[in-house]
Amino acid sequence: MEEKKTTKCGGGFLAFVLGFLLSVVAGWVVFPGLLYSELDQPIQFSHKIHTEDQGLTCDSCHFFREDGSYQGMPTNEQCTGCHSDVIGQTPAEAKYVQEYVQKNKEVPWRNYQYQPDNVLFSHKAHEPFECTECHLDVAKADKAPKYYENKLSGYSKQTMKMWQCERCHAENGVSNACHVCHK
Amino acid sequence: MGLDRRAFIKFVVGGAAGTLFTPIPWKLADDASIWSQNWSWIPRLKYGALTADATYSKLCPAGCAVKVKKVAGIAYGVEGNSANELSKGGVCPLCATGSQMLRSPSRVAGPMKKDGDKFKPISWDEAEALLADKLKGLKGQDGKVAAISGDLSGTANEVLSGFLAGLGSKSYYYMPTDQTAMAKAWNGVMGGSGQIGYDLEEADLILCIGADIMDAFGPVVRNQKAFAAKRPMEGDKTLTLVYAGPVRNRTAAVADKWVAVRPDGAAAFAMGLVNLLVKSGKSASLGGFSDFADLAAKFGPEAVAKLSGVNPEALKDVAKALLVAKNPVIVVGSESGQGAGVALSAAGVTLNAMLGSLNVLPEFPKAVASAPDRAGLLAKDLVGWLAAVDAGKAPAPEVLFVYEANPAYSLPQAGNMAKTLRKAGMLVSFSTFMDETAAMADLVLPAPHPFERLDDAQSPYGLGKATYALATAVVAPEKDCKGTPDFILGLSGKLGVDLGFGAFEDVLKAKVEAIGADWDALAGGAVHVSDKKGSAQASLDAGAMSKALAGIKGEGLVLIAQAHLNIGTGKLATPPLNLPTIRETELYGKDVFVQMCAATAKSLGLSEGAKVKLAAGGADISARVNLSEGVMPGVVAAPLGLGRTAWDPYTKGKGDNVCKILAVSAEPGTGLSVWAGSAVSVAKM
Amino acid sequence: MQAKEFKIRWGMVIDVDKCTGCGACMVACQVENNIAPATPEMDAWAGVTHDASNKLRTLTWMLVYEINNKKAFPEYEAAYMPRPCMQCSSPACVPVCPVVATDKNEEGGIVSQVYPRCIGCRYCMAACPYHARYFNWFDPTWPTGMDKGLSPSTSVRPRGVVEKCNFCHTRFQQAKDKARQNGGDPNNLPDGAYVTACAEVCPTGAIVFGDLNNPEHKVHELAHSKHAFRLLEKLGLGPQVYYYSKREWVHRLGDNYLPNEKKA
Repeated sequence: MEEKKTTKCGGGFLAFVLGFLLSVVAGWVVFPGLLYSELDQPIQFSHKIHTEDQGLTCDSCHFFREDGSYQGMPTNEQCTGCHSDVIGQTPAEAKYVQEYVQKNKEVPWRNYQYQPDNVLFSHKAHEPFECTECHLDVAKADKAPKYYENKLSGYSKQTMKMWQCERCHAENGVSNACHVCHK
Repeated sequence: MGLDRRAFIKFVVGGAAGTLFTPIPWKLADDASIWSQNWSWIPRLKYGALTADATYSKLCPAGCAVKVKKVAGIAYGVEGNSANELSKGGVCPLCATGSQMLRSPSRVAGPMKKDGDKFKPISWDEAEALLADKLKGLKGQDGKVAAISGDLSGTANEVLSGFLAGLGSKSYYYMPTDQTAMAKAWNGVMGGSGQIGYDLEEADLILCIGADIMDAFGPVVRNQKAFAAKRPMEGDKTLTLVYAGPVRNRTAAVADKWVAVRPDGAAAFAMGLVNLLVKSGKSASLGGFSDFADLAAKFGPEAVAKLSGVNPEALKDVAKALLVAKNPVIVVGSESGQGAGVALSAAGVTLNAMLGSLNVLPEFPKAVASAPDRAGLLAKDLVGWLAAVDAGKAPAPEVLFVYEANPAYSLPQAGNMAKTLRKAGMLVSFSTFMDETAAMADLVLPAPHPFERLDDAQSPYGLGKATYALATAVVAPEKDCKGTPDFILGLSGKLGVDLGFGAFEDVLKAKVEAIGADWDALAGGAVHVSDKKGSAQASLDAGAMSKALAGIKGEGLVLIAQAHLNIGTGKLATPPLNLPTIRETELYGKDVFVQMCAATAKSLGLSEGAKVKLAAGGADISARVNLSEGVMPGVVAAPLGLGRTAWDPYTKGKGDNVCKILAVSAEPGTGLSVWAGSAVSVAKM
Repeated sequence: MQAKEFKIRWGMVIDVDKCTGCGACMVACQVENNIAPATPEMDAWAGVTHDASNKLRTLTWMLVYEINNKKAFPEYEAAYMPRPCMQCSSPACVPVCPVVATDKNEEGGIVSQVYPRCIGCRYCMAACPYHARYFNWFDPTWPTGMDKGLSPSTSVRPRGVVEKCNFCHTRFQQAKDKARQNGGDPNNLPDGAYVTACAEVCPTGAIVFGDLNNPEHKVHELAHSKHAFRLLEKLGLGPQVYYYSKREWVHRLGDNYLPNEKKA
């Protein structure tokens, strides 16, 4: 008996396209959700309360020190200038005072722009730029943005990769020598 | 449409092709490579504000003016204090790793009491009660309570010695160093007052007889800075340095001339110089000088050559240089910083006096009035006392305090000394680290690390001016420790001994006020320097000197133990970061190397690397031979600081303790225990 | 490799006549760069020790050599020579790296070593005639608690990467930031604004650090002195570290000379 040669090209091609489309969707939609875990900051810090209601400016807490280094995330030393005791009504502040100030513990803030130890970044050299060129715009946010942690590498989703730094350096005529950014 | 195998395969291939157009493979590869660089056991760095807090580090014998570097309040490093006029920003190899030693695994965690073979933690209150109880019954009986101190410059000694005096005990001893030998000579035998100083900053010729000023004698950082200041690269040198000793050590390496002198004949060499200076018409305004000059006449160049191995021409050249120089300074001591005799010290004083360089620093006023005078204590002979205890001629103390010292390891004939120390009824160590003495103590009451405590330094021996430095606590204590003077003040209160102060800070504040210095400036890292000079009145005892010098034989194989600061000191074993600075010709694996020149090795039938046993003073050590032409014939050089039996795995069990074979003898005429250039026998193993 | 020209050339002049071999520079270097202490192990079965006395395993970015004039007593003379990375003008290590983990492309001329890119093939170690490069045979382990205070200046390297002295490069960045903060010119730092840990701590001041091209820096004049020389000059690598000595035998040890060959 002759074997019927059934051309399933149409059906086979469909299977190919189906597989193709499914994986593209999975890769672009499902995968990021799987790869990143959504985390919160240890304390729900509200920039809005501090900048709008209390009238603090950015450099009240984020400033350059005398030696040119940058105070990024404030430490208890800055915060207890006002928050040595509970002065507001929010549960977040109460939690901060109770679990960190009174226990003399620094808050382990999650750094959206976390860079590994081998990277050296100088804020002073980048002073002419707007903060929001690289950082999330939180100045008026009432809640701290979600922190997306890469389950495999442990880094934040917002962590800038080397090519982003290199591109901007090249566009601005600044050296891309290894030692400019590595230590 | 049914899903057959072909369709299924096409589906899978489609999926695979599709993934290439998604971030999945690229992101996973990238993240996996990052994951492989993020091992959890590789420590992450901490960032924050960088600060540097000034203090005075007493990790090395004389102390260094330092700034403790911190990041986010955590100490991580040390830099020099460039504002300090003595150290000018330099730091010695021990103080440079001071921040790491804050967390040394050999640190004592808290007060501990010996329970059988092990240590049991107790509280500070229990410790105080225990000691108060024990000491109550001993009050008023001399010799029952004794103390050994290895900190020769701190005011803490006034508290501790005043406490002992209040208990009726006079048995307060300092660890033997060049300073104690000089104190015995100047303050003891010669009846002088104050402390001998060396104005290296103004000198145009420095002659070191034995004293290794760059590595082991006095304030080595200041010595090096003073030397370097007069030898600029870009100009002419205004200082000549001559080193007279048996080994081409670190001082000799930068000296203009090395005069090879047998360590046992150093005093004869010095007397030979006295003789030549007398013949050139020089004299010293010291009592009994003419008798002394007559004695020196016996040390002509030929006699000196026999006793010290110094070439007569070399001796004459040195004398000529001394006469020509405008500001010559002679520094005398032992190559290892301990074991020198009165003969060498007195000859050194006389030489300086004859050349107009005798420099006497006045003592600072005491803070604790009831404390005995410092000079008198420095002139006492700890080794002699322990020998008497060993021989039964003196009673073993019921309570023996050991402060900032490690006598079980670093005294000469260390093995024997350790046994004698153990004869004490109750051995109390205040050591910060679990050193050999603490390991065999009954009670360990850890003092804080120098960066964690209040302390001071009065004219560390070797400086040219009366100087006072203050150390403040710049780091919060990492362990449960308590400042020893504060503990003693508490204890003295319980025993009815009134020292006049409740806390050590008050003692120091009173001291600073009595000196006329500014506490805040001192706490900020400044140092108080006084131009006042002490009295140069003293008188030479030619009779005692003659006896002492008669004991010099100048022949036979002698041992010179070399103190290298990077290897550590008696009371600070090699810090882990210093281990790579030890050469493989000093230590390899578990073998310590002794140095000798080819001529000496040939006469002993030894070759490079040979395993040998060195024996002296009833003890022996194992070592291997390293041939070095930097050691004069008839001399074996061995490095101190190895052969630890306590501390931590980084330093324990490496090499052997050369202190074990430093044979002690009593200097004829003065009775001072001496061991510089002691005899040794070397046998192939 | 062709020598790259830079406006600034960081270099050192080390006075061998002043170095007492104390080792403070070696210790300060390890503190600044988070070099873990050598482990106390002995592989007794192999007769090999992995502790600090095995100099094939220690990481000594700065290493003090003891040299002598090879004469017998009493003509014997010894000296000490601290050796950091030479930061050569045309380094031998850079062209051989298969992954460009090391390069000389930054203003200042410091040869960079990027740890996450290094694959540990050790070709650069073979190429360097000064033995200035070291390989992490082991993961760094600190005695318990001793990794509490680590220097923020240098990342901690895992096993499998090569490392070397980088003239405390983070201090260069910090000096530039300080200059920017205080109105100075980061590309024209004054003498002493940027100093390496070893030069800073040296008790005799034998190590002088600065910009070799800048006449206002001390090293500029010292490097041109007739008493200055470089190690293995004949290889043509153009080291940026000069040694200074008024002793002829020290100069002669700096390169391979035939017995009767006159020094250039």
